[in-house]
Amino acid sequence: MKFEDALKRLEDIVEQLESGELELEESIKVFEEGIRLAVFCQQELKKADGKIQQLLKNLDGELELVDFEESV
Amino acid sequence: MRDFITVSKLNEYLNQLINSDEFLVDFWLMGEISGLKLYQQSGHMYFTLKDEETSISCVMFKSRNRSLEFKPEDGMEVLARGYVSIYARQGKYQFYVEQIHPYGQGGLFLYLEKLKKKLQKAGCFDLDKKKSLPGMVNKVGIVTSQDGAALRDILRVLRQRHPDVEIILVHSSVQGVDAPGEIAQGIRLLNQQGYVDVIIIGRGGGSFEDLMAFNSEEVVLAINDSVIPVISAVGHEVDISLADLAADLRAATPTQAAQMAVPDILSLQKEIVMYQQRLIKAVDRHLAYYNETLDHLMMEKVWQEPHLMIEKQEEFLQDLQKNLARGISNIIKEKGTRFAFNLAKLDSLSPVKILQRGYAVIRKDDKIVRDEANITQGDYLKVSLENADLGVVVRDKEKIIRWEI
Repeated sequence: MKFEDALKRLEDIVEQLESGELELEESIKVFEEGIRLAVFCQQELKKADGKIQQLLKNLDGELELVDFEESV
Repeated sequence: MRDFITVSKLNEYLNQLINSDEFLVDFWLMGEISGLKLYQQSGHMYFTLKDEETSISCVMFKSRNRSLEFKPEDGMEVLARGYVSIYARQGKYQFYVEQIHPYGQGGLFLYLEKLKKKLQKAGCFDLDKKKSLPGMVNKVGIVTSQDGAALRDILRVLRQRHPDVEIILVHSSVQGVDAPGEIAQGIRLLNQQGYVDVIIIGRGGGSFEDLMAFNSEEVVLAINDSVIPVISAVGHEVDISLADLAADLRAATPTQAAQMAVPDILSLQKEIVMYQQRLIKAVDRHLAYYNETLDHLMMEKVWQEPHLMIEKQEEFLQDLQKNLARGISNIIKEKGTRFAFNLAKLDSLSPVKILQRGYAVIRKDDKIVRDEANITQGDYLKVSLENADLGVVVRDKEKIIRWEI
């Protein structure tokens, strides 16, 4: 599932639940899905690790990643 | 045997002739570039300059074209400074270019207009081909100069918004002869690797010529081929390049490109927490509503004093019974009246009543006698009065007729 889809679904669920139109059983089901989505979204935000690398092509024509040192 | 010279001698002779010409050693030539080739290995540039009628082969050596602000392209009208000399190996004279400029700003604009039309026709700028950014971007590819101010701006803003963002940089020149090829190559390498979510290409502001790499066909085609969305950020707000037109998103500056590329993580995090709280509140409210409804139901008298319900039922039952009893007695009363009436009627018809009125019943051999024909003189008859039976003998008999009303 894509982050943006999850966020959109979460938004829909909140609105649906807030409208109060759902039956009890349905609202509990929807609530559980909402909590799962929120957790998923939080996890998605933590997926990167902040590295900066430089992509080079070496002499054999193969791609190579090296750490990038920023010139200040 | 006639006098002759060798081919080498001829070329050498012509070369000397040309080289000794005052004009041919240094002059400006105007023409349109065609068939341009930049050889990767040597770095030399070969092309033809032409006008409507004629053309001449040109060479611009690496040592000269290094200092070019932009890469000349086919179709450009240019002014070139240089000299003519003989290329002895092929026995042809060539124009050796030292310097090259677009033929006035107008020439460059005209060239760009033509190129733009061509690329437009090829569908390079079609809006319906634009890819949208994924909502969450954790990996950003950048194609720009590793020494440029643009890169520093981009890195700073990316980190501000998304501290953990992963960045993959492909260094390229952003102006000069090699720039178009290197930028295009950078985009293709990032696609080949297929790791990043979005690619930013761009550079800071500069002269019109400085920005020309981002107007090149090579870069436009590479953007078009990219399956990863490309954000283009070239120069300042006012500069719009062909790369901008081809890109999926156009940023006015490199800083803005970085803002477009990654979401603001802090605000996203806040948003998710806010949704979570609303979710809990909403379900709480839901449950509270059901609880309240249930409470209301349980507060009904029935549940608190169940005997009331039974008493009510008993009362109802008693009412029913009463009604039933009343109903029956009514029926009985009505029937009694009719019975009395019928009894009276019966009574009035009773033979006893007739005897009381003075009539008598006459029997002969226990049969009631109604007709004189059954009686003869001397018969023994039984006469019943109200309160006595008499035995009599018939002495006379006379027939009479009585009228009935």
